Order: sequence, then structure tokens, then C-alpha cells
Amino acid sequence: MSNWHRLVWNQRDALLAGLGVTIEVCAIAFAFAVVGGLVLCLLRMYVKPLRPVAITLIEFFRATPILVQLLWVNYVWPSLFGFPDSFFAAAWLALALQSSGYLAETFRGGIEAVPRGHREAAYSVGLSPFATFWRVTAPQVALAAAPSIVNQFTVIVKSSTLVSVITVQDLMYQSQKIVNIWYEPIEILTATAAIYIVVIFAVSIAGKALADSLRSRYGIAAA
Amino acid sequence: MINHSFERRSFRVPTTAQGAAVNAADAPNIRVVDLHKRFGALEVLRGVSFEVHRGNVLSMIGASGSGKSTLLRCINHLETPTSGDVLIEGRSLVYRDADGKRAPRSLAEINRMRRELGMVFQQFNLWPHMTALGNVIEAPIRVRRMARKEAVELGEECLRRVHLGEKSHEYPARLSGGQQQRVAIARALAMQPKAMLFDEPTSSLDPELTEEVLGVMRELARDGTTMIVVTHEMGFAREVSDRVMFLNDGLIEEEGPPQQIFGAARSPRLRQFISKYLH
Amino acid sequence: MSDALRQSLDLSVFWEYRAVLLHGLAVNFYVFAASAVVALGIGLGAALLRVSRLAPVRWIGTVHVEIFRNAPEYIMVVWVHFVLPLLLSLLLARRLEFDPFVSSVIALGFVYSGYFAETFRAGIEAIPRAHIEAGRACGMPERLILWRIVLPQVVRRMLPESLNQFISLFKATTIVSLIAVPDLMYQVTMVTQQEMRPLPLYTGAALVYFTVIFAAGTLLRALSERWRSKIYA
Repeated sequence: MSNWHRLVWNQRDALLAGLGVTIEVCAIAFAFAVVGGLVLCLLRMYVKPLRPVAITLIEFFRATPILVQLLWVNYVWPSLFGFPDSFFAAAWLALALQSSGYLAETFRGGIEAVPRGHREAAYSVGLSPFATFWRVTAPQVALAAAPSIVNQFTVIVKSSTLVSVITVQDLMYQSQKIVNIWYEPIEILTATAAIYIVVIFAVSIAGKALADSLRSRYGIAAA
Repeated sequence: MINHSFERRSFRVPTTAQGAAVNAADAPNIRVVDLHKRFGALEVLRGVSFEVHRGNVLSMIGASGSGKSTLLRCINHLETPTSGDVLIEGRSLVYRDADGKRAPRSLAEINRMRRELGMVFQQFNLWPHMTALGNVIEAPIRVRRMARKEAVELGEECLRRVHLGEKSHEYPARLSGGQQQRVAIARALAMQPKAMLFDEPTSSLDPELTEEVLGVMRELARDGTTMIVVTHEMGFAREVSDRVMFLNDGLIEEEGPPQQIFGAARSPRLRQFISKYLH
Repeated sequence: MSDALRQSLDLSVFWEYRAVLLHGLAVNFYVFAASAVVALGIGLGAALLRVSRLAPVRWIGTVHVEIFRNAPEYIMVVWVHFVLPLLLSLLLARRLEFDPFVSSVIALGFVYSGYFAETFRAGIEAIPRAHIEAGRACGMPERLILWRIVLPQVVRRMLPESLNQFISLFKATTIVSLIAVPDLMYQVTMVTQQEMRPLPLYTGAALVYFTVIFAAGTLLRALSERWRSKIYA
């Protein structure tokens, strides 16, 4: 199988560099998605005047395909908002926006799933509403939402394959570049697909293990 | 230092629960005055008044929908009364007198007064992300600003009192229903309340597990804790209470010592109710 | 910024090309429909494999699900379009090429069969054993039990989750524009290259997809809730 050696193994530097860019984009997008989702959720639930705005944004980010959001953020936003100023920024921004919509709904479900009785028990021992939120409600939401958050990371990784379309040099971009040079797609594309599948599989296994351990330790079901 | 007066809370330990005399000179611990509660068009409490004196146990019985739980929840303001008043040791929980005018109390004030009442729920409501000890010491640390070391000692003592000393580091998911309810009792006790409220504490438990909880409640009564218990456990109500109250349709139908309620009931509805439970 | 905003919302160029853009949207629907059929069929099959009593059969189902559920749609579309024909050519000693529409349907169909398989499996396993045993006690053959007792309940139970996955599938059909299937995104890209006015065109595309998916999603969810609540009373 010298084809494999020539096309895949010899190109491993480029592929690893591409994988590095993929991980970078995904990590930044993930961080912003969690923060953004939290902000949108809290705005929707507790800031009455901004509620319709929050709901519209959440539904918009959830209902538009990621490719469309990517292209729109990349080509239209710089003129509208002056940001993003690079393809890389457009990539993680679009990915973050899409996931923040889903995470906002996950957090909302988590908050509503905390039984009212837990709040009442907290008031009965004299905890203030503020202390009740931070010590009783929020930790339970975090634990219940953790598996969904991990799942959303796999969604980000899967969507990240599209950032090659706006010339961000991720793993997909590097492998397509190699295909264009050598015109022999079988080995390289199969290897790329395998890498993505393995990485995403590993993350999803971790997510499942996390969900199982949460359920057995705390009796909290995934939101 | 631990407040050792916690251990000597029995001001006046009755020789038998049924023999406890109500000292008329004592101010009642809890006083409910003409309480009304309406949910939309439905009036659940239609004018309830009673008193509970220090160290006494009052049991509330009645059919579902009679308003027992609502009444209990009004006492510690989990439900806001539509009209009427609740007084804890003479101070109104619902209203404050400012410049001679009556105004409803703010949430912060109500929270402060609520500390003096401990509540035990039918669904236990233990916080699943904290250990048993964590559940018990959360309020002493956060509300009474106790130092952590002191709170842990207090918490372990409370857990020992409900016979769960070895389980302090377990999470609620690993505890049986009876154990969870006893932790809930310990959590309420840790705030050293003036009175304990129990909302059908054993209704969610399998029959084998009710006894362990009732046993703890009997011990609390023996130690002179002021208790108001909403329950279906007639045996408990009969043995442990100083007074029993029968609620029907939002009003107190009959009230009196257990011998009267269970032996010589005056109200025909009460007699009907009792006959269903005691064969 | 307000000038850019005005430009973005000036959808006249969008309206000018509406015929070709609408045709593109229709292509999205064709791809969606064909992929959905493939995904449902294979997904159901994989789910039945995973609930089989034989361990090796279960294992085949699991492998299928884990490969396709964890595969990015884009790489699968690219792989099916560029690699699969070459592999088949080697096998059949003939030169093969896939029409991009066919590649898309195969790729998306297989990827989403993974999601549907999981949904169906969860639904099947949620059926109380007692219902199945009641059927057996009446003397019903296994196949009849499957069709008349298990599957109808699975459909009702799994309808909301399946709707979400159908919506995801529809969103994924935009990817086919990248292998030159003339869907809405492809047409928008082509028109942008011609007209050099990305602001209104990409904004318009986003609004069109949002409107279609949001409206369809809300409507379908409302209908499914009404249908489900009728049965569950």
C-alpha cells in the first residue's frame, strides 16, 4: 500500500496542521456558544422587555442551515457590523451563533426541570432567592445540561468541515488541497473521513460516560 | 462553639404527650387568625383560626382537597394568604406595622422570619448535587453565617439525631426514601427553628419505610419540639399529638384532644372519615 | 452601517432572479425527500438489527449507527461523490461516475439513517414488555405483534424527535450546493458571482431558509402534538 504511504503518511504534517486549525476553531466556537447560549437563555427567561428579541435570535440561529450562516456572516457581516475581520473569525463566529441557539434551549429546559419543591425547600430554610439560584438551581442545571453540551461540541466539529468553503485551512481544506495536487482521492479522503469519525466518536463516548456517571451519582437525568 | 442550648430545647417535657397541659399564660408559638386563601375562583381556605403552644404537637387530618397542605404552606408563606394573619411568637408574618399602618412584608423580611420555621415536604426535596451533610449545613452557613467547621459539627449532630450519622457523605440518590426524609428533617432542624411543619411526610414512602420516619418524629415530640403535622397516619396522630384538627372544605370542622377526635367525635363527617381509616 | 443594512434588505435583486432561486429551493426539497426515504428505510432496518436477540446481528447494527451518526455530512457527501465511484470502478472494471444528486441522496440518506436508527431503537425499547407479552398471550405471530402493536406506538412516541431530525436533514441539503447540485445556495452563489451583490443575496437566502424552516417546523410540531394527544387522550 505505497499509495497510502505516499498520499497520507507523507502528508501528515499538513494534515496535522489542518487538524490543529479544526480544533482551534471548534474550541473557540464552543466557548462562545456556551456563553452566548447562557446569555440568550437568561435574557429570554428573566429580562421581560428583551424576551421577543431573544426568542427571535434563538429561533433564527436554530432554523438557518450552518452553511448559509457561515456564508452570510463571512460576506455580509463585515459591511454591517465591521466584524468579523478574518475568515477564521467568521468561521468560529458562525459556528458559535448556531450552537448558542440550541444551548439556550437546553439551558432553559434544564432550569424548568429543576423541581419547584427544591426552591421551596431552600426558601423554607431561609435561603434568599439569589442564593437559591446560585446554590440550588444553577448547579443542577449545569449537571443536567452537561451531556447536551458535550453533544453540541460534536455538532460543532461536524459543522466545522464547512469552514473550508471560506478558505479556513482546517483538516478538510488540507485534504482537499492534497486531492487537487495528486488527483488520487481514495486514500486521502477515506483517511480524512476516518479521522473525523474517530474524533467525534471519542467525544460522544465521553459524553455518554459523563451522562451515566451523573445519573448514578446524583440521580440527575440529562436535560 | 456549638450552641449547647440546642440540646436542651425541651422547655417543658410532658410526661405523656396526651397529658401536656396548655399553659394559658404562655404566648402561643404560632397563631393563625381568620385565614382565607383563594386560587382564582376557588376558595380553598374559608376562614381558619387556631393556636399552637410551645412544645405541643398539632396534627391536621382531613380528606384530600380539604385545604390542609395549603394551610400549612400559608403558615410559612410558601403560599400568600388572600386575607387573614399568621403570627409567630406574636409577630405577624404577613404584615408589618409601619407608622401605625399595615403593609405587607417584603420578601426579604419574610425570608428572615421563615428561618424560625422548619418545613419537611412530602417529596423530601433534597438537593441532589450535595451530600446529606451538604444539604444540612447549606442554610446554617449561608443564612446564619456560621463558620464551616462549626456548621459541620452541627450538621453531623443533626444527622445523628435522626440516626443517619454514618450516611453524612452519601448523595441523596444513594439513600432510600425513608433515609432521604430523615435527612430532610435534619436539614430543617439544623436551623434550630422554633417550630417544625410536616406536610404529609410519609405519604411518598413505602409502608416499610414510614416507621423509621415516624419514629424520628415521635422522638422530636418527646423532646418538646413544637410540631404541626399534616398526615394520614392516624395511629401517629392519635399517639403523639396534643391536639388534632379535622379540616373539611376549607374550615375547621372539629378540633380537640386525640381521645375526643378518635373516640368521641361530635361531627358526623369526622366520624365517617375516621371509620374509613380505623377498622 | 445603515447603508449596508439598507443594501442587505434591498431584496429587489432577489426578486429579479426569483424563478431560478425558487427552482433551487425546489431542488432542496427533492434532495430532502429522496434522502428522507433512504434514511428512514435504512434507519428502521438498523434499529431492528439492534434490538435483535442475536448478539452478532446487534453488533452489525451498532457499527452502522456509530459510523454514520458520528460522520460529518460534508465529508460523507464528498466521499460518496469522489471515492465511491472509483472504488466501484475498481470492483466492476468499468468507469463509473455518480450524478451529484445521486451522491447527495446516498450520502445524506446513510448519515441520517444513523440518527433515525437511534430514535427508532429508543422508541422500540420504550414499549413496555407487557404489551408484547399480551400479544403473545393472545396467540399473535411475532410479525403481527411488530406491525400492529410495536410500530404504531413507536411512531407516536418518536414523532417529536423525528421531526427535529427531519428539520436537520433539510438544513443539511444545503451542503449539496458544494458538489454542484443546483439548489438554492448554489444558485445564490452563481447569481452573486454574476451580480457582485453579496449583501442582499446572502441575507435573502438566510431569510428564505429561516422562514421556510421555522414556519414548517412550527406547523408540523403543532400538528404532531394534536395528533399525539388524540391517541394518548
